[in-house]
Amino acid sequence: MIFGKLGAALTLMALMVPGITQASTVPSGSMPKATEEFVEKGRQIYIKRCSFCHGLLGDGNGPAADYLDPRPRDFTLGTYKFRTTISGELPTDNDLFRTVSRGLPSTAMQAFDSDLIKNGLSEEERWQVISYIKTFAVEFDNPDMDPIKTGKTVSLPANMPPFSPELVAKGKEVFLNAKCWSCHGKAGRGDGNKEFRKDDWGFPIRIRNVTHPWKIKGGGDVEQIYLRFTSGINGTPMPSFVKTLSEDDRWALANYIKSLQHNLTSQQVLTALTVEGDVPTDPANEAWNNAQPMDMRLAGQVIVPPRWQNPSIEMVTIQAIANDRNIAFKLTWDDPFKDIKHDVTKELNTDEIQKVGIFNSYVAANGMIPRALDTFRDSVALQFPVKEPSGTKKPHFLRGDSSNQVNLWIWNADVAEAGGKATVDANARGWRQPPKIQKDDQQQVVSQANWDQGQWTMVMKRALTTDDKNDVQFMPGKFIPMSINAWDGSNGEHGLVMSVSSWHYVLIEAPMPITVYIFTALGFLLTGGVLVWFAKKAQAEPGSEAT
Amino acid sequence: MKSRLNSFWTVLLSVVVIYLIVKFGIPAVARQVTGLPFPLPVPGALIFIYMVLTLIAMFLLVTFDDGPLNDFLRPIKRFLRGDFSKPVRAVGIVLISAAAGWYVYDNAVPKIAAPLALRIQHPSSNFPKKMEDAQNPMANPTEDQVAAFIEQAKAGEVQFIEQVIPDFETWKEETGEEDPLLAINTPAIKKFRAELEADNVDNETAHAALMEVRLFQGRALYAMNCRPCHGDSTAGDGPMADGFKLRPINFTDNGTIETIVEGYTFWRVENGGPGLPLEATPWDSAMPEWKVSLTEEERWLIIMAEYDMAEKTPRIPEKH
Repeated sequence: MIFGKLGAALTLMALMVPGITQASTVPSGSMPKATEEFVEKGRQIYIKRCSFCHGLLGDGNGPAADYLDPRPRDFTLGTYKFRTTISGELPTDNDLFRTVSRGLPSTAMQAFDSDLIKNGLSEEERWQVISYIKTFAVEFDNPDMDPIKTGKTVSLPANMPPFSPELVAKGKEVFLNAKCWSCHGKAGRGDGNKEFRKDDWGFPIRIRNVTHPWKIKGGGDVEQIYLRFTSGINGTPMPSFVKTLSEDDRWALANYIKSLQHNLTSQQVLTALTVEGDVPTDPANEAWNNAQPMDMRLAGQVIVPPRWQNPSIEMVTIQAIANDRNIAFKLTWDDPFKDIKHDVTKELNTDEIQKVGIFNSYVAANGMIPRALDTFRDSVALQFPVKEPSGTKKPHFLRGDSSNQVNLWIWNADVAEAGGKATVDANARGWRQPPKIQKDDQQQVVSQANWDQGQWTMVMKRALTTDDKNDVQFMPGKFIPMSINAWDGSNGEHGLVMSVSSWHYVLIEAPMPITVYIFTALGFLLTGGVLVWFAKKAQAEPGSEAT
Repeated sequence: MKSRLNSFWTVLLSVVVIYLIVKFGIPAVARQVTGLPFPLPVPGALIFIYMVLTLIAMFLLVTFDDGPLNDFLRPIKRFLRGDFSKPVRAVGIVLISAAAGWYVYDNAVPKIAAPLALRIQHPSSNFPKKMEDAQNPMANPTEDQVAAFIEQAKAGEVQFIEQVIPDFETWKEETGEEDPLLAINTPAIKKFRAELEADNVDNETAHAALMEVRLFQGRALYAMNCRPCHGDSTAGDGPMADGFKLRPINFTDNGTIETIVEGYTFWRVENGGPGLPLEATPWDSAMPEWKVSLTEEERWLIIMAEYDMAEKTPRIPEKH
């Protein structure tokens, strides 16, 4: 009875609690009529929140535009990427509503839904700004081009079987037959094309690495992936496959693409695999299959000039193997081009950018930095503090500081390709001076690398300890801070134009102290002894054999 | 007559049930009641207290009288005597001893946990006292500045920072208009322009219009410099945010720029991560030392726009 009443009360309480507000990318109704007043309200919002990227005239040339990759949309063209209409057509109002509401992840275009951000826009405000954006392109005034009136929309397939291994296998066949790999690469890392692609206006664009779900701007779920090959992506070489692939094939393909998505690890400490035998130098060595991977996210180096907002390498997966003498790190990262040349004369002169004042803080993405093949090399560097940190105190993660030196192991693809000593042992005390390379007889890091299907794998190996006071020393049981700098040469990266990670840790587990085993054995024996003694005592007692 | 469960098993069962209620039941109910997307776990110390109370209650119940005590001890004695068969007794003793051993091992084994950094969010140990009362010169234009602005506006030559000029130039070319104020044209500017045309400018209207012009420039500077990390939403979710373990601050959150005076904001923008005291782990902060790259005026413009975009106001300094 009591429990019945309590249960009912609890159920009632649960019903009264409002659910978590669910942000919606679908409007509650159709777009209100765009009266002059309505559009003017949209203009006020646009000037305040959109114009700095998209420009006063909607031409995608606002003051911040040069720093963005992809560049802000030029609204005057009426060309939109993420639609539910057939290839080449205008978007529907709801398509625009979806983009304004949820934004385009990993780009400068963020969500504006007031359910997602506190200072966001209400549904009406979003419609107002959309009505203003539509005034930039005359195409929207032409009823013959209205995709809804002309029936040029696309939708999800009638039949959507759930994600399954069979579906993924079928999707893989579609991927091979439809030659998706000719652009996106056999492993989906965007490495199929041997040169840069450009969009319809000549701006360099990246072929999507479909294994990184956070970069899938239109949305990484199966439904959205399906819509991308159904609608195509206007203004880019990505076509629509409506005519060449059946609904079922496209659905299977979408499931296959979903299956390629990488699941990020969450730990901040890399535990090295400890082995008895040799530590491998070959990145293809099977021992690496047993070593724990840790994904390290990287951001553009936006901390000091020249800042870089358009990094190519956003994740490096790291593993470590150690024995009682050596430690080896394996770094794995995606890069569609193998850049093995370096032209020093093309390096950016940063003197102007280092000054205080106008336009000093950023490097224009498509102007000052040459983004071309055969210009700069691919590189990666592991960074450690030189001194063992006391408490949590560390050098600054960007190259340390004047009183806290860092040790950098810098690997260069051009030297590796030429068969030279590809990894240099260097030191830095802050970002103002380039890292200082140690003397020849103090170069103790060996490395081996391989590039395959849009992915570098590289191993760096060194003795756990050295007698050089400028080197990091690895001791079992100590948490050693570790971070990464990475450069994609064909993305124009060199010097401080690079990707950086924050501090993570690497740990070589100390052997178990013998006391642990002694205490455990004592605990077992003592308890056992007492129980046996009780048993003996109980047996000796004349028992009342009650049943 | 119903067969009654022996009190040993009743006690054991009760203890287990109470533990399960405290450990999982209460958090599950809490989740329903609060409507939060996660359960509210009962603190470990509280679980300990509840379980001790339960055990005391059980102890009292069992030792209340010889009858219940004997009833309680009977299965234990029978087990120890080997009445359930000797192999059961042997396995039981080994299992209980192993559990004890495991408990000791679990407590003795060195636990691997990364060093924990306790971070002070608004450190003030090295905040220069004189900054406490600093006023944003961009948000508080002098009368002379307002007067100069009116003159500029009359001539159609309002001054803008260099960064936004190219966009205005294109706008002028395409629209054939001359006055850059017309490109912004917020209600405050509309009012100001109307008064200009009637040659009857109110100082307050001009002040409001000048603020709009400055905010516009501050927003542009924010979009160029701060947006990559803090996001155009100012919610600390820009495209670079995921790459930094110490995430960029969310200005729309009530506990951030609203709780500090403007002089403090300026000081933080000026000195960035490297200017933090040790208790605020400067080595983890990606905040740039903006004095290296931006002029003082640019920094104040940005701060003005930052508060405006986040829909927050700075804390007002106390009177001394």
